[in-house]
Amino acid sequence: MRSNKGTWLLLSPGIIWITLFLVAPLIMMIYVSFWTQTTFSIKPDMTVVSWVNFFSSDTYFGALLRTIRIWFTVLMVTILVGFPVALYIGQFIKNKTLQTALLVTCVIPFWTSFLIRVLAWRPMLGKEGAINILLQKMGIINAPIEVLLYTELSVIIGMVQIYVVFMVGPIAFMIGRIDGSLIEGARDLGASTWTIFRRIILPLSMPGVIVGAIFVTVMVLGEFATASALSGRKVNLLGNIIITQVGSLKWAFAAVAGVVLTVVMATFVAIMLRIVNLRNQL
Amino acid sequence: MDKVVSLRWFLGIFTAAFVLFLYGPFIVMGILSFQQGPEGGPQFPIIEWSTYWYQHVFGLAPPSRIAPLPIGEALIRSLTLAFATMVVSTVMGVLTAQAFRQPFRGSGVVFYSVILGMIVPGVLLGLGMVLLANQVGIDRNWWSTAFVLHVVYTYPFAFLVMLAIFNRFDESVEEASLSLGVSPAKTFRKVTFPIIFPGVLSAMLFAFTLSYDEFPRTLFTGGSDVTMPIAIYGTFAVEIHPNLFAFGVLSTLFSFSLLAVYGILLTLSIRRQNQRASGLQEDIT
Repeated sequence: MRSNKGTWLLLSPGIIWITLFLVAPLIMMIYVSFWTQTTFSIKPDMTVVSWVNFFSSDTYFGALLRTIRIWFTVLMVTILVGFPVALYIGQFIKNKTLQTALLVTCVIPFWTSFLIRVLAWRPMLGKEGAINILLQKMGIINAPIEVLLYTELSVIIGMVQIYVVFMVGPIAFMIGRIDGSLIEGARDLGASTWTIFRRIILPLSMPGVIVGAIFVTVMVLGEFATASALSGRKVNLLGNIIITQVGSLKWAFAAVAGVVLTVVMATFVAIMLRIVNLRNQL
Repeated sequence: MDKVVSLRWFLGIFTAAFVLFLYGPFIVMGILSFQQGPEGGPQFPIIEWSTYWYQHVFGLAPPSRIAPLPIGEALIRSLTLAFATMVVSTVMGVLTAQAFRQPFRGSGVVFYSVILGMIVPGVLLGLGMVLLANQVGIDRNWWSTAFVLHVVYTYPFAFLVMLAIFNRFDESVEEASLSLGVSPAKTFRKVTFPIIFPGVLSAMLFAFTLSYDEFPRTLFTGGSDVTMPIAIYGTFAVEIHPNLFAFGVLSTLFSFSLLAVYGILLTLSIRRQNQRASGLQEDIT
């Protein structure tokens, strides 16, 4: 009914905005990663020095490996923790109102500032923190557990708590959509609970897991705040590297770290999108 | 069947533990915000219950060695920025979703480009924007370079919400209005908009809260005048005090009141629509 021209007219503000403020900055980042960096300035002479430095330095290449390791751990833990919760909300709660109420309960902590929520882990995990006090009072441990705070573990705990909801939501949505008669039918035909889980629930919830994995991946890979708040600056992720490089005006180097991060992320998301078509799931 | 029952119990307990895990820091924050001041630190045990840190947040506490949070200006900046972001991204989201109601060539590319805005990590976008601003020679300010990135971030949310609304939209209502000779602009105002209003409200809520709490994009691009999240991020390096927790509790309450306003507006609009629908029916019969 509407002409093609009308469509593009409606689209133009969005397209212009995205081109100028999303595509152009990203292209600029790739471009600058090949510039020549001197101590205090940067010149647009093309070179791969920053790239070579990045991959030959233990600090920076180590940060890349650490980022990937922490990301993968957080991703696995969010799936392992999130799936049972989503299964409970999606399959075992039949009342729609209660289902929504439970999901809303999971989302409410998001209405607190992200940074303050991260900081609140410090009095939880510290040597004299809530968890250690509680465990000591209950007589489970004698001396406080010290690995809880200012370690990789605390960063992982913090990230799982913040991002696990992005896993629960999509999975619960997919599981909730499963037709109840499908499961009843399978049961009537003698399928065991395990078979029903493996043959019906698991495959049908897969798009949810993948969407959740994409959410968690892009958020964890771009993280730096949790690491700097809960590791006492001991755990440096690629995000932290970018922050410090920008702080010392090493633009080309920051850009290299940024491009590396983008490539890692894009590869994973592309693989995931091969498996599920995001647009059809809406 | 027994197996299913025990599975249900296991998952129920697991979910309860999960909720406790989600709320743990939240609860600790609430408790510690009532720590005694100014000597009491952000840790257990509570020396003495007091509202000292709340007074501290509002600048009512007697001066001490702990600097007050830069509430006034930073908060106003954050709220202004969130409001502007909300308006622009909601309008663009509605326009783009409206365009997507008809299939067109290149819709896939446009769809994923828009979604990219919410996916690309803030640090990367912030970095790219700074490099671009340096190159073009633009100053970095919260109302310019940071603002455009906030919109890039929230606009996809608004777009997706509106897309979902339009997917469940009965087009014949609009067609009826148009074929009766009502102009497209008036049709949008009188017919389309009231139907999509709940979606618009949700998009606004999303955009506002996301922008208000946004900081990786603002960190590089915000310039020297800090917004509230950047001010909080600044405290990461130094010692933290319970005034942050008191502020956290207050800002959570503020968010809840926003949520309440959203709920009230939504209920009102649905009720009004029902009333109008029944009124129409009475007119016909």
